[in-house]
Amino acid sequence: MRRPKKYESGEAAQYITRKQALKKLQLSLHDFRRLCIIKGVYPREPKHRRRAQKGASDIKILYHAKDIRFLLHEPIVWTLRDYKIFGKKTGRDRAIKDFRNLKRRLDMMPEIKMDHVVKERYPTFIDAIKDLDDCLTLMFLFSTFPSLRLIPREQSALCRRLTIEFLHYVIASKSLRKVFISIKGYYFQAEIKGQKVTWIIPHYYPFKPTTKAEVDFKVMSIFVEFYTIMMGFTNFRLYHSLNLAYPPQFPGSITDDEDTFTDESSFVSERISCLNFDLLKTDKTVLENDDDLEIDYDLLEQDGDSKKVLRMKQEAQETKKLKNLFKGLKFFINREVPREPLVIIIRSFGGRVSWDKNSYPGGTFEESDESITHHIVDRPSMEKQHISRDYIQPQWVFDCVNQKTLLPIAKYLMGAELPPHLSPFVDHKRETYVPPEEKALRDPSLIETHEQSEEESAEEEEEEEKLNDQQLEKAFQAERDQMDDGEDEEEDDENMEEDDDEGLDENEKKRKNEKKNMAVEAGKVHKVNKRAIKKDEIEEHRLKARMVKPRHRNLFRKLIREKQEKDKELWLMTKKRKNVEADAKLKKKAAKKAKKQAAV
Amino acid sequence: MLKIITESPSPLKGTKRKRVSKKNKAAWRKHTDVKDVEEFLEVQRQEERIGTFQDKPDSELFMIDTQAEVTTQLTPKQKRVLRAKTAPLRSLAILENDSKVQDPITKRNHVKNLKSGRNIEQEIINPKTQKHIDANKDRKRYNERLDKIVKKKRNSLAKTFGVDLWKDTDLKDKYPDLKNKWISEEMAYYTLKNGLNETGVIKVHDSIRHKTIKSKGFDAPHPGTSYNPDPKDHNALLNKVVVKEEGIIKTAKHLKRITTEMFSKVTTFDRDSNILSEMGEQVGKEEPSEEEKQETKEVDNDLPYTSVNAPVVNKKKDKKARKNEKDQKLLAQELKKKKDAKKQLTDLHRLKHLNADVNKAGQEMIELRKHRKKEAFKKKFETKRLGKLKYQEPDIDVNMKEDIAGNMRNIKTESNLLVDRFKNLQKRNIIPTSVDVGVRKRRKIKRFTRNTHKEPEKSIYNKKKK
Repeated sequence: MRRPKKYESGEAAQYITRKQALKKLQLSLHDFRRLCIIKGVYPREPKHRRRAQKGASDIKILYHAKDIRFLLHEPIVWTLRDYKIFGKKTGRDRAIKDFRNLKRRLDMMPEIKMDHVVKERYPTFIDAIKDLDDCLTLMFLFSTFPSLRLIPREQSALCRRLTIEFLHYVIASKSLRKVFISIKGYYFQAEIKGQKVTWIIPHYYPFKPTTKAEVDFKVMSIFVEFYTIMMGFTNFRLYHSLNLAYPPQFPGSITDDEDTFTDESSFVSERISCLNFDLLKTDKTVLENDDDLEIDYDLLEQDGDSKKVLRMKQEAQETKKLKNLFKGLKFFINREVPREPLVIIIRSFGGRVSWDKNSYPGGTFEESDESITHHIVDRPSMEKQHISRDYIQPQWVFDCVNQKTLLPIAKYLMGAELPPHLSPFVDHKRETYVPPEEKALRDPSLIETHEQSEEESAEEEEEEEKLNDQQLEKAFQAERDQMDDGEDEEEDDENMEEDDDEGLDENEKKRKNEKKNMAVEAGKVHKVNKRAIKKDEIEEHRLKARMVKPRHRNLFRKLIREKQEKDKELWLMTKKRKNVEADAKLKKKAAKKAKKQAAV
Repeated sequence: MLKIITESPSPLKGTKRKRVSKKNKAAWRKHTDVKDVEEFLEVQRQEERIGTFQDKPDSELFMIDTQAEVTTQLTPKQKRVLRAKTAPLRSLAILENDSKVQDPITKRNHVKNLKSGRNIEQEIINPKTQKHIDANKDRKRYNERLDKIVKKKRNSLAKTFGVDLWKDTDLKDKYPDLKNKWISEEMAYYTLKNGLNETGVIKVHDSIRHKTIKSKGFDAPHPGTSYNPDPKDHNALLNKVVVKEEGIIKTAKHLKRITTEMFSKVTTFDRDSNILSEMGEQVGKEEPSEEEKQETKEVDNDLPYTSVNAPVVNKKKDKKARKNEKDQKLLAQELKKKKDAKKQLTDLHRLKHLNADVNKAGQEMIELRKHRKKEAFKKKFETKRLGKLKYQEPDIDVNMKEDIAGNMRNIKTESNLLVDRFKNLQKRNIIPTSVDVGVRKRRKIKRFTRNTHKEPEKSIYNKKKK
């Protein structure tokens, strides 16, 4: 038997350098890069570099030999080779000035077909959705680009088209969940087919050129080239899941009052890009299938982990409520406010929105419309204001979505100093000390109780003016609710009941519920033996500790220690807070007394 | 004879000899003045070549100006076009015969220069044979078909994505012949793969999708990056930035210390003066006198002479020495044996300590294994080294306190999303880290000029004269 030579097997045979790969595939470096990005073949780091590089110790770019062998089968390789020939032929035509042939040849330019690659890289549709994060962010970014040297205009136009289509889907399916304004851009998170898809829409600022040293535009352009194909097919599938026609079409019933538009296609594309109209459905008989999808949680509850099921049920209810957050509300976006992100949010939570028709086409109602409930402004003051609507800052919309309720608008009025805009992407259910102010921010229901308690003790401390303000506000809100209801009756009879429920303020609903449960029976005082409970707890804990496997003992101890530390911190902070508050109260009282005495 | 020898200087300049010998042809030529004849002949030849005024008609020589001249300024391009139309190629102009000299041979055999082969271009433009007419028709049809294809391609809805990619399809649908009860499933796919050049059935190996890094594509934004952040979150982010910046400053300091600060700096003046003083160290000193030299020699004489590189001598050991050596060796061995035996005995008492040592070593081993495992686990989440350059984390995007306006109108954006995405791809090992190399440097080539193309060097003497 032949003695095996060195580096013929093992790690050395497993890897192949980039240069070798180029030789094997007979492609130029640029073509190879393109092929790799399209096919999703990435360089690898070997375990032992020297062994993988056949004794060479400098760092080379290595690929799996298997990957490269796989690339050999790809028909795209032939297209890439055709490109080379195409370049030579067009070059010749150009040199001998045979422009007729050149033009024809340019039109016949070989095209890379990537459809099969999309299917190959994402065998199931869910795989494709899982990978949408990167794709969407890049495409939203590229859709804002002017035509650059390495980015043709068609590419950015296609990006714009596909992203708009995707946004239409998000609006139609009401799948938006979280929004966040950061200094990078607008973060959006949607839940599509049970997958969380996050993307960033850049702020609306002029294009900022980047140097070659920072970013390789060519590489990014190739990524986008692939992503556009993937996004197109994904959009197709998403649209069909909602029974929408793809490419998006505009129901014929909507016609503009202007008769003078000449180019119909541009008119339609403008209307589609404004995101303010529902798209044409292929099957009108099918209603929204939200109700069908709902799982019968009661059935689930019977078997298995009831705690988990309970949580799931709660979440499902929350999202159902969230989907109709802005239902029945009418927004008007002022000129200075970034239109698109707000339109996406408002429309995907059931609100109706319009804007100044000079700023962008597609507005559905005028600024002077009396039924507008919220007017979104981002300026310190306005000359002409309508009494019938609230003038709020855009952050209100974002915060409402993140808190999953309609927040009181008092803090978001025009010109007011806004409360901090918190990120919805951090877990707030942490077990550390949360000051009551922050708690109130997270859960507005806590504000109400807080205020009520203040009202109760208002005899002592509360100022009368504030109370008056609140009453006025309440009266105003009640009035507006009535108006909303009236409108809805005109529009749709079926929706009335729902709207009635929705229109009512959260607090009132709660109060009503409480009233219902207010039937009082003679209660018995249930005495709790605290000591016994504590004893039980300790016993239980000991049992738990004994049940822990020896190999998990350290982890268990660590967890216990962490919990103890957290509890201690919580206790300390609440105590501190109590002390501070008590001090403040005392001081206030003293001041009041002094004032009274002075007055007397 | 004598005369010949002595007469060497030539006649003085300026003086003319009256008589010169015109014995030879050469002498005749040298001393005859034929200038006037030559001039006459020159004029005659010229007249032959280009003709005389008398021969030319008046119309060629004069022009009657009947119209006022309208000067039209031609653009350079127009001029070029005009010249191209009228004038022959410049390279061919020289070959044209415009001499007026008549052919001296009156009866010359003129050879007609037939064109080699057919003038196909002319034949195609003005087709005469049926073959050419048919060919032209074919070509026309072909062009029309191509134009149609192009038109179709231009209007094609290639990018409308009208298919559901993820629908379950059977590859065999395309080839109904394969749906035969005699052809097994495996056979059908084998044929699809190998016979019909179908690309859809190539198996994708699993390792292509193995993730090389366990980090998410999308990092949740830090709450401090909000446009209107909570002060607590913002401070946390600022602290992060500060820690990173401190690290950078520290490394910069370290680098400065170990490079620039390792060398003392001297001004140019100091450097020159130092050099001068160092070089002139010996100049001022007097040579050591003879006596001194002798003194040093005497001192040297006292010591025995040793060579710097002494010759190697293979000095053999004698028998006695060898025996002695052997004895010593044996003795040492015996002693060691004894010592070992003794140690074994004493080790029995040290058993406890030994056990402890073994245990300790084992414990250390376990620790090391644990550590290695931990490191390997940590490495799973880190960016791998794919190319020559190491991945470096980008700067953290943060708004400084004074930049936070608190409303959307005055937002100050901090990051470049494109750079952010690019870095993210690098972080996830999708593209190797690289830098723009700019314009590549050409290989340096040493060039020589040919001797024939060399310009004559200026001689040194000429320069000196100046």
